[in-house]
Amino acid sequence: MDFRWDVVWTAMPQMVEGAQLTAQITLLGIGGGMVIGTLCGLIMAFRLPVIHWLVFAYISVIRGTPIVVQAMFIYFALPMAADIALSGFVAASLTLALNAGAYITEIVRGAVQSIDRGLTDAGLALGLSYPQVLVSIVGPLAFRRTIPPLGNQFIISLKDSALFLVIGVAELAQQGEQLTAQTGRALEIWTAVAVFYLAMTFSLAVIMRLIERRMTIL
Amino acid sequence: MSLIACSKLTKHFGDTPVLRDIDLVVEAGEVVVIVGASGSGKSTLLRCINVLEPITSGTLEVDGKRLGERGTSPRAIRRETGMVFQQFNLFPHMTARENVMLGPRKVRRQGRAEARATADRLLQRVGLLEWADQRPSQLSGGQQQRVAIARALAVNPKVMLFDEPTSALDPELRGEVLQVMQDLAAEGMTMIIVTHEMRFAEAAAHRLIFMDDGRIVHEGHPGTLFANPPSERFSDFLGHVKT
Repeated sequence: MDFRWDVVWTAMPQMVEGAQLTAQITLLGIGGGMVIGTLCGLIMAFRLPVIHWLVFAYISVIRGTPIVVQAMFIYFALPMAADIALSGFVAASLTLALNAGAYITEIVRGAVQSIDRGLTDAGLALGLSYPQVLVSIVGPLAFRRTIPPLGNQFIISLKDSALFLVIGVAELAQQGEQLTAQTGRALEIWTAVAVFYLAMTFSLAVIMRLIERRMTIL
Repeated sequence: MSLIACSKLTKHFGDTPVLRDIDLVVEAGEVVVIVGASGSGKSTLLRCINVLEPITSGTLEVDGKRLGERGTSPRAIRRETGMVFQQFNLFPHMTARENVMLGPRKVRRQGRAEARATADRLLQRVGLLEWADQRPSQLSGGQQQRVAIARALAVNPKVMLFDEPTSALDPELRGEVLQVMQDLAAEGMTMIIVTHEMRFAEAAAHRLIFMDDGRIVHEGHPGTLFANPPSERFSDFLGHVKT
């Protein structure tokens, strides 16, 4: 069996383009997911009246349905239901943000709730307000605990972005599919695509590990 | 005017009464030691005085401020009461000095330099200035508790509350903490102390309170109460803690 390197080289520009789009969607997705997840996680941790039920409903819907269905819904169903038509790129980023946001909500909630209640007592006993306790004590301690599970979630989100090929976004996996159809060389193309994904997830893992190491003092 | 006044204070956890009709008055400069079996409500009483636990009924007044009155938030009361916990509860991501600086910075709105001076003065007072840059995990239990005392003092409270401050410590580390407390008492600090250290109570307390089943059962001079236990319950209790 021969591995035709020339196929890989010819396909390279198109794959790099796909990888760039994957990176953009992932960054927007996990960035948006962080904003949503931090807010919702705090709402859940402190059980803010009424609104925490809304957050609970949001998490249940996202965790209870496959991300493919979510992408399909946002891209194909939303225009019919609410006359909101989004480009593939926007729909993909939004889906990823909403999806990651639900899981990050649970990560943040868990981290905040894992901080010893005695530290909050100590802060309040000094005369600090609840927001001050959150900013100076619980927040920094909880943040450290979110880093390992966040790293996991970021990698999952990056890989999940591959299924946006179903809504026609020209990200890395979709480029792989097109290239395979053009060249008929599945072995070379999918090997190269896999290597691209591996390089990206590995870089993410290394970055998270570095952040974690800087924060180890607890 | 007395510094602390509780009247008919009760506290329930769900349907379970933990404090029943507590009447307690503490004058400025007084050192009050509260003893009692576990579950008698002594720690809960301290936490109620600091409003870490909301009271179910009755009134609480600290330094003339009545809880629930206009302008008297739980925070206003906590600012006047320093609290020292059984488990120290130092902030693990801060150095000893930063732990002590937090209150002055956030509560008393002191600048960085001023708060640092406050912290160093108090760390000096508890004998830990040369440990100021260490994190809590690098300190022994006794040292951690002394930092915790300095931290509580840093906001200039009118009264200090101690919740079993030596119970989590090895016996050989208790002395250094008790010494700091004794010095504070000698300087005229108003203190309410929950402890099992009877010798400390005898040496430092002006008044001993014995609690049982959420009530104040006996109150008086520690020496007198120890010499003539007024009830079988109290002498039983003394027998348990002395062994």
